[in-house]
This record gives sequence, C-alpha cells and structure tokens, in this order.
Amino acid sequence: MQTAERLQQARELLEPRALELVEPSTDRLDAEMSPDSLTAGVQALHDHRWGYLSTITGLDLGPDDGRLEVLYHFCSGGAIVTLRVKLPHEDPKVPTISKIIPSAVIFEQEIEEMLGIDVLDIPIKERLFLPDDWPDGVYPLRKDAQLEGDNE
Amino acid sequence: MTETEKFSIPIGPQHPALKEPEHFVFSVDGEMVTSASVRLGYAHRGIEKSTENRNWAQNLYLLERICGICSHTHALTYCLGVEKLAGVEIPPRANAIRTLVAEMERVHSHLLWLGVAAHEAGFDTLFMYSWRDRETIMDLLEQLTGNRVNYSANVLGGVKFDVDEELAGAILDGLDYLEKRTYHYLDVVTTDAAFLQRTRGVGVMSAERAERLGVVGPTARASSVARDVRIDAPYAGYDEYVPNLIGHTTGDLEARFEVRIKELFESYRLIREILATIPEGELTSRMPRRIKANEAFSRVEAPRGEVFYYLRSNGSDKPDRIKVRTPTLCNMASVLTLVIGQQLADIPMILVGVDPCFSCNDRMVAINRGGRSEEVWTWERLRQYGIDYYGGSH
Repeated sequence: MQTAERLQQARELLEPRALELVEPSTDRLDAEMSPDSLTAGVQALHDHRWGYLSTITGLDLGPDDGRLEVLYHFCSGGAIVTLRVKLPHEDPKVPTISKIIPSAVIFEQEIEEMLGIDVLDIPIKERLFLPDDWPDGVYPLRKDAQLEGDNE
Repeated sequence: MTETEKFSIPIGPQHPALKEPEHFVFSVDGEMVTSASVRLGYAHRGIEKSTENRNWAQNLYLLERICGICSHTHALTYCLGVEKLAGVEIPPRANAIRTLVAEMERVHSHLLWLGVAAHEAGFDTLFMYSWRDRETIMDLLEQLTGNRVNYSANVLGGVKFDVDEELAGAILDGLDYLEKRTYHYLDVVTTDAAFLQRTRGVGVMSAERAERLGVVGPTARASSVARDVRIDAPYAGYDEYVPNLIGHTTGDLEARFEVRIKELFESYRLIREILATIPEGELTSRMPRRIKANEAFSRVEAPRGEVFYYLRSNGSDKPDRIKVRTPTLCNMASVLTLVIGQQLADIPMILVGVDPCFSCNDRMVAINRGGRSEEVWTWERLRQYGIDYYGGSH
C-alpha cells in the first residue's frame, strides 16, 4: 500500500473523532484531538490495524502558549499519523491508552514523570527513569524547571 | 490448589547476568517465571533536556553520544531531521557515504551482539571468535573516520569523510573475510546441538503478539513482522541501495540469531554496491545557523530497530524540543511478557535476544537543591576543569 492510501485510510478513521486534520507533508497526517476523544481515535486505528504506536512525545509549548501537548505517533510503512492533545499547564490530564495498546505504558510513565501530566488509570504509577530521591513536583522537561546547568 | 507464596528475585542494577545497569524483579514458581517488572534510568543523562541549551551544531556531538554502539544512527537520525526542518538537500555522494557508514555500523553491531549472545548461552568460544572478527570492521571504520566508535562522520548538511580507491579496496578485502566467517557462524547457530538447546523454541513470540507489543527491528522480523524503515520509508541512500527484508517465521531465539546473521550478508552486499556505484560530487550543502519555527520527524533503522526522533525548532539557533525514542524501549515490553512461563535460567538469553542497549534507553539531570551540590558539577565547572586539565602541565 502506498503512503497516500494509508493516510487516506487514517483520515477516514479519524475524521469523525478529530477536532481538526492537517497534512503538514506528504507522509504525515496530524489529528488534533480532545482528551475525551483520544481513546476513541486510538481505538479506531487499532481496530483497523493501522500501523503501530511508534512513541508518545510530551511537549511544553512554552510560556507564550501556556499549554502542554502530548503527541501519539503511529507509523505504517512510510506514513506517520500523529494524534495531538493540547492540555492546560495546571492540572493536565489525559486518559491512558494502555488498555488498547499495552506497550504504551512505558511511554505514558515517561510523560508523567518528565512533564507532570497525569495519565488517568495508568496501570503502573511507579517511576521509570528518574531516581528514587527525585523531588516530587519537579518535572524536568517543563520549560520552567529549575535544573543545574541551565545557566550555560 | 493451595495458594503459594510469591517468591521474587531481584536482578540488577548490578548483576553478572546483565551487561548494563537495569533492574528487574521476577516472581517465580519453582524455576518458572510468573511475572516480571523493570526499572530503567540508571544510565539516564537528561540528554533530551540538554539539547534545549545547545545550538543545532553542538547537539550533533551530544546526540551522537547517546549510544556507543549505534552512534552513527543517532547522528544520522538527527541530521536527517534537522535538514528536513531547514529544507536542505544534501549531495548524493554524502548520502551514499552516510549509508555506507550505517551499514558498516550494522555489521559491527550485529557481530558484537552475536558475541554477547553466545556468551550468555555459555558458548564463550563463539564469543571470542566473533569479537575477533568484529575487529576487522572496527579497523575499517577507524580507517574511514578516525574513530572506532562515535565516528562523527556526519555534519549538518553532509558528511566529513570521503572514501578513496585505497580505502574502498581495504573495505572489500575485509568484507570477503567477514563473509566467509559469517557463513561459518550461520552454520554454527543453526546446527550446533548444544547451542540449539538454548535457542530453539525458547522465548517464542507470535507475529500477532509482536504486532501488539509494538516490537521493532530484527526482533520483529524474526516473528514474521515485515518492518524495516530502510524499506518502508527510505532515507539517506536507501532508495538507491535497497536492502532485502530478512524475516523468519518461528519467532524463537534461534530465529533472532538467524535473522541478524543473515542481515550481515545483506549489509555486505549493500556496502559492495555502494562502493561500486558511489556518485561523484560534493560532500556538504550549506546549512543555516537559525531554523524557522517548524517540526519534523525522522526515522532510521538502527541495528536494533527503528529510532524515532521528533524535532521542533522555534526560529533560534537552538531546538525547542528533541524527543528520542530508541528501539530498546519498544522491545523491552516484549521481554517482560516473553519471560512469563519460561525457565529462570533462560532469562539472560531472552533478554539478550532483543539486543538491549540501555544507554540508548536512558537518556541524568543534575538538580539544584541549594548548597548540596558538591557531588554534582555544573557545566561551567566541568568546562573549566577541562580547560585547566588540557591547558595546564598535561
């Protein structure tokens, strides 16, 4: 199957559930999702065996935007579909997708500890990467995190 | 049936069966594993965060050091991503050389893995021989780039090193030797009765399970999942130099051995093809220092599977965010489910079967907690130390 066909298929699956769909390049489809429609979107891709979850990226959009964003990247052949969920800086919450894709837990643990995003109903609440004595409430990948070495 | 108490065996972060720091807890019933969990991060260096304080060119050197085995892969994935962000096309000769180094790296990595895996199986003779032979490709990589690891072959917009006739000849001679040896290794891992007892039917992963767990690379291909970024989304020179997908259907450890060894032959073929048809021309294109706000993905087939980078620029000379996802993280989930129901003694083999790389996996952030920083050096202090050390009496 060609990349364009795969993207078209993903478009049909996500259209009813996404807030907005854009194709930033010929091999990409970005779907803006609300936290509530995220699992439905993931379920649709999963049920139609559309590719695999390549990873989950957590972003801090910076003080001007004031929001966090979580990107769920799915790859199928040369095509990349990204489900994008924007979240408020205060009390960000997303549902877990690990009930659909069990291997997502590891990526969800990462965005929890690195960006302080609360992943609701995540089966493992423990730390994955950060040390045991890491202080609570310090999320290193947030732009306002005070870390040594930043003054460079 | 009476309820039996669960017995947990912690393994790591330092343990003779592990070559790198990670921590597992296995619950066992007699010799059989009933559950498994993992704790990572012992080699976490906060590299993603660090990239936000360095400019595009500096980050190349940082990211290449994520992994000492597939360093070229990381540098390449980063360069491809940044070039995509900036809309820069690199010359065909540079693409061919990037592909050449990538395949030479795959040869060294697969041979390294063969040795480690043989060692875990208790077959140290195979370990010694495969590592001896691996020196052939290490020497060639050194001749080409000046380094055994962290080759630093890439620059943003191209490559640093060129291949001349003499070096091409040396590479071809080296490949002839390696190819002969690789046939021998294929023969050993598929016929040696004692070895097969450790691999055949052990750690079986069905295609359906491999799909569901999202495994990548040779681990996926050994379970008949046809997934290879070089073929699915060709980058660098792979649309010209197309690899054949090496798959296997049994999904056990033997299949993982066979797939990796057969991939070596494909790499030899690709390297020969590149050296025979390498286009003439420039090695670099011009790169801007600042990159307008944009985002890009970059995917490369590392020896262990797909490496995925997300890059975001904001108009300055530094990235806004770089996210790195390495293949071991994807494949780790498979280890945790594969070991269940297996013998405890098979754990090291199953783990090594995915060719795990933990420095890839983990990427330490030093944290400022007022006054308590004696054991943690600032970047400035480290830099000054370096200057004093090399500028002083040494």
